[in-house]
Amino acid sequence: MAAIEVSGLTKFYGSKPALRDVRLAVEPGEFFGLFGPNGAGKTTLIKILTGQLAPTGGAARVLGVDVVADPMAVKERVGIVPEVESPPSYLTSYEYLYFVSRVRRVPDAEARITGWLDFFDLADVRRTICKDLSKGTRQKLMLAAAFLHEPKLLFLDEPFINLDPIYQRRVKDYLIEYVDGGGTVLMCSHLLEIAEKLCDRVGILNNGLLIAEGGLADVRGAEKDLETAFLKLVGDRR
Amino acid sequence: MTLLLRLMLREEYRMHTSYTSRHMFLAFPLLVFLLSFATGATAPNYLAVTPLQDMLFVLHVSVFLYGVSVGAFGFLGRQYQERATGYRNYLVTQPSLLPMSFKRTFLGMYVRDAIFYLILILVPMVAGLLLSIPLSGFRWTSVLFLFAAALISFLAGMSLSFFMSTLYVRSPPAFAALSVVVVGLFLGIGLGRVLPASVILPGLAVQLAVPPLAPVGGATLVNVAAGLALNLALIGGAVALVSDQYEPRTTSARNELPTWDARLSRLRRYRTLLAKELLDLKRSGTPVKMFFSFVTPLIFLSFTVWFVRYGLNLPIGFNTVFYAAMVGFFGISLYNWLNNVDSMDYMSTLPLSVPQVIRVKLLAYLILTLGISAAFVVAISWMNGDTRLLWLALPVMAVTGLYSVVMTAYLTGLRTNSFLFDPGVLFAFSAMSMLPDIGLAILSFTIDASPAFAVTGIALTLGVLSLATLILYRGIDRKWARAAFGE
Repeated sequence: MAAIEVSGLTKFYGSKPALRDVRLAVEPGEFFGLFGPNGAGKTTLIKILTGQLAPTGGAARVLGVDVVADPMAVKERVGIVPEVESPPSYLTSYEYLYFVSRVRRVPDAEARITGWLDFFDLADVRRTICKDLSKGTRQKLMLAAAFLHEPKLLFLDEPFINLDPIYQRRVKDYLIEYVDGGGTVLMCSHLLEIAEKLCDRVGILNNGLLIAEGGLADVRGAEKDLETAFLKLVGDRR
Repeated sequence: MTLLLRLMLREEYRMHTSYTSRHMFLAFPLLVFLLSFATGATAPNYLAVTPLQDMLFVLHVSVFLYGVSVGAFGFLGRQYQERATGYRNYLVTQPSLLPMSFKRTFLGMYVRDAIFYLILILVPMVAGLLLSIPLSGFRWTSVLFLFAAALISFLAGMSLSFFMSTLYVRSPPAFAALSVVVVGLFLGIGLGRVLPASVILPGLAVQLAVPPLAPVGGATLVNVAAGLALNLALIGGAVALVSDQYEPRTTSARNELPTWDARLSRLRRYRTLLAKELLDLKRSGTPVKMFFSFVTPLIFLSFTVWFVRYGLNLPIGFNTVFYAAMVGFFGISLYNWLNNVDSMDYMSTLPLSVPQVIRVKLLAYLILTLGISAAFVVAISWMNGDTRLLWLALPVMAVTGLYSVVMTAYLTGLRTNSFLFDPGVLFAFSAMSMLPDIGLAILSFTIDASPAFAVTGIALTLGVLSLATLILYRGIDRKWARAAFGE
């Protein structure tokens, strides 16, 4: 069974198409990178796959669960890092992770919370309320919240945004280890260099259409790197 | 400034239409127009028993209070900055990025809201009155004078609120001190009759100095000038108080969530969410705003009752049961505050549903209001020497309070403020809140004349409201199951 199966997925915002007949399969243990220009439909696709948004047509299953029929079951099974880092303003860093652990019924929560606070060096801001944290720290907290329950599948929308190189490296290493251990990742990013080092397979969305999909070497083709291939595929004319 | 204002007006319009639809939003001023026309057309009937002067007084107090509710955006200065990372962002945050000043931007917000609500409410109201002239016999010049005077009342409310809210951000103690002075002034006028109301309501002063109550003359000009001067002084003061730099704060707090969560363990699956909700309230300072938004209509109600009794000399028997019904319905504004404490975007990444969160808000509402409401009803019954009816009043308060908030939650979900601008929702809300409210009020008036009839009627009404509460509560799941968090 594929970790993610998408067939004929479409989404319209009013009369404007955001996704058009997207077909995709991501196998367990795969690191799948989804790229595309701004407004291509990447975030819309992630929102549909994580039960945050209903599609206009088509079907999608995540870890065997129909995302339209049972979005709550999907959210229970996956970890999500949203496009915008927005932890609750009035909880402290520790309290936010505690809150997530309670909502997700995480066993051994205290040890895991401490582990993730240590992983991101957040001990100093354990008692700082989230609205007073820097953007980078908020992003670390969102990542910790998504990793806390050790899901089998992670949806990461720009996970490296606002992270300094030290934590980018730390998160990269963790994700490599996570995939090696059998976890699956679907990641959207504009940082193609990082993505190239992490992804097993990639897909390129443009104007709501999945215009390329396959192994890194297949999508790169004869081009020297993914960035050049990407620019050629999405049609940068400059 | 013109460009900023134009863009802010466009932004406000788009924000409102994004909550419903363009047609539904534009139907709102039409609704105001029709109501105003109906009020104008039936004027000969009620003016036969109520003096015009008294009607105008009530109108100006209402418009002034509406202005007060619109102008409180000064509170939002820091909040806008702190929420700048949400999915929605507003022009008012731009001074932190562009060479613009916050003072100027806040002034822009004042002018924007003045224009926006003028067009949304005051203009349709006056248009309705103008159209009713063949039926009401009003002079068109009087209607236009009314418009000008009401505008001054509205702006005075907005300016006072703008000033007070910016003062709150700068210095809470100064805000508290000035609040005492303002409340004292209003109480002095309302209860003590120390001064005429027109002294603190400049729009009313203008109204009393123009036709049909008085010919246009020197007093008109003086009152208009005084009204405008007061507005300008308050706006100037507010703009001067707006800070152009928001110093980032680092607030540390004890990690209290686990303790609160444990305390609420009896609530099982709602315990953590409710603990978070109550902590949010504590740390955001929202209870102060909630307290004022609950107490203000209660004071207004007391004032109206006093006015009807002593001002209009109408022999209506207001008793504890009447107050209890009103108090129950006033709690609605608190539910709205509960939905405005913080952005809920992050909840969409967790296995939580909108109905689940609505239920937690309802629980928080009950915890916050039941005590205050009961205290108010007991206090007013004691002050009026009417404690004999408490046995009936307290259940009335509890049932109406619960019904009102569940009905509001059913109709508006987690976006109360936005959905009440949808005329369809507003119509349902008005009908569902006013009909039982009026019914209970009328029944309460008959308690002394016909106790058996009144008690039976009230008991039946409470039974129907309880049943409706249950149906609506269960309906929340069906109606909001697929709704998304966030704006």
